[in-house]
Amino acid sequence: MADLIGLIVFIGLLVLGYCAGTYFERKHYREIQVRERKTKHIPLITFGAKQPLPPAAAAQLFVGSVVVSADYFKIVTASLRNLIGGRVVAYESLLDRGRREALLRMKEQAIRWGATQVVNVRLETASIGNPTGDNNGLVAIEVVAYGTGLR
Amino acid sequence: MSYTPKEIPENVNVTATPALVNFGSLVIKVVIGLGLLYWSLGIAADWLVVHMSPATEQKLGQVLLPSQHAAPIAPPDRRLQYLQALIRALEPPGQPLRFPLTVNLVEAEDINAAILPGGQVLVTTGLLNAVESENELAFVLAHEMGHFAARDALKGVGRTLVFLTVAVITGIGTSETGIPGPVNGIGNVTQLHYSRQQETAADRYALAAVIRNYNHGNYSLSLFKRLQPLDPQPGQLRSIAEYFSTHPLPQSRIAALEGLAANEGWSMTGEVTPLPDWFPSKS
Repeated sequence: MADLIGLIVFIGLLVLGYCAGTYFERKHYREIQVRERKTKHIPLITFGAKQPLPPAAAAQLFVGSVVVSADYFKIVTASLRNLIGGRVVAYESLLDRGRREALLRMKEQAIRWGATQVVNVRLETASIGNPTGDNNGLVAIEVVAYGTGLR
Repeated sequence: MSYTPKEIPENVNVTATPALVNFGSLVIKVVIGLGLLYWSLGIAADWLVVHMSPATEQKLGQVLLPSQHAAPIAPPDRRLQYLQALIRALEPPGQPLRFPLTVNLVEAEDINAAILPGGQVLVTTGLLNAVESENELAFVLAHEMGHFAARDALKGVGRTLVFLTVAVITGIGTSETGIPGPVNGIGNVTQLHYSRQQETAADRYALAAVIRNYNHGNYSLSLFKRLQPLDPQPGQLRSIAEYFSTHPLPQSRIAALEGLAANEGWSMTGEVTPLPDWFPSKS
């Protein structure tokens, strides 16, 4: 009986994770596309550090940061993948959304400030949650994008 | 060089595989993998049952014994010596057992006898109280010897046997008490259920051994005839039910054995061999 309840809870969480996760992911992607179209006039340029900046009146650092969490369905899929190895397709969209969202937040701040371009853009990721990786805690990533806005 | 903003519609960073397809293929692969593992464990266990060295098997029995019951009665006991001698007398002369069996007498009211993997025979004091002749006792002991000869106890442990053997040989996974972890997984091995064929084969073995030893099969089945729960008395029922929960019903069993004796031309008439004077049921 206890096993049956456990199984029902597991399947329930799986369905919830899949439905909610898919819904929010699609919504997020639609939002990202709209905002990317709106901000595409600002070039993001990454030339090497220690290079002279293009001539500009003002320069300022902009940081965009986002934390995205995986849903239960993705976690289970990834843990199955963990058993046999290979590409963790389930987490690809998670990281993609994180990167694009972080870049957008950085860009939008820079646009509000009046930037015409953002140079030396860098991306960093960090995993948030339990480092033991036993799938019981939070599985989330933080993506930080930062660059120098010029106007 | 001037910057011309443009949209990039495709996304190379996310694989287009739908999440459910990905999940389904993973589940199938994992299930196939686990199935193969289960299957190969079965093959390995079957191989071990036949190819396990007597030394390893004996070691396994010593490790399993303390996990099964309250401590057996200590060796300097004439009931034990008597049982041990009886087992030796019942051994087929041409083809002795893989190694000598060890008898363990357990203080219990239940009428029961069992064989553990590793040649450890368990006999309850309840059985000694219930038997009225040596022929009856000999049949029960020879039945367990039949299970040993056919390696039924080892087969009964199933796939856990692989882990158990590895634990016993290497000492890995052995707790401080000396009992390997996998033992907890198999529970009470005296309650192992054997198939009808295995029981029938053990019965044949037992009757053949009894005939060899006493030149007739008379009285050897009397215990079962007496224990037949025709009109179960209250209080008597429990201990009898105990025995028949692990053994087939006596009615068909006795009929089958009598049929066998008739086919083989074995004599089912002869003198009774009494139990020694000091025996518990004589008091």
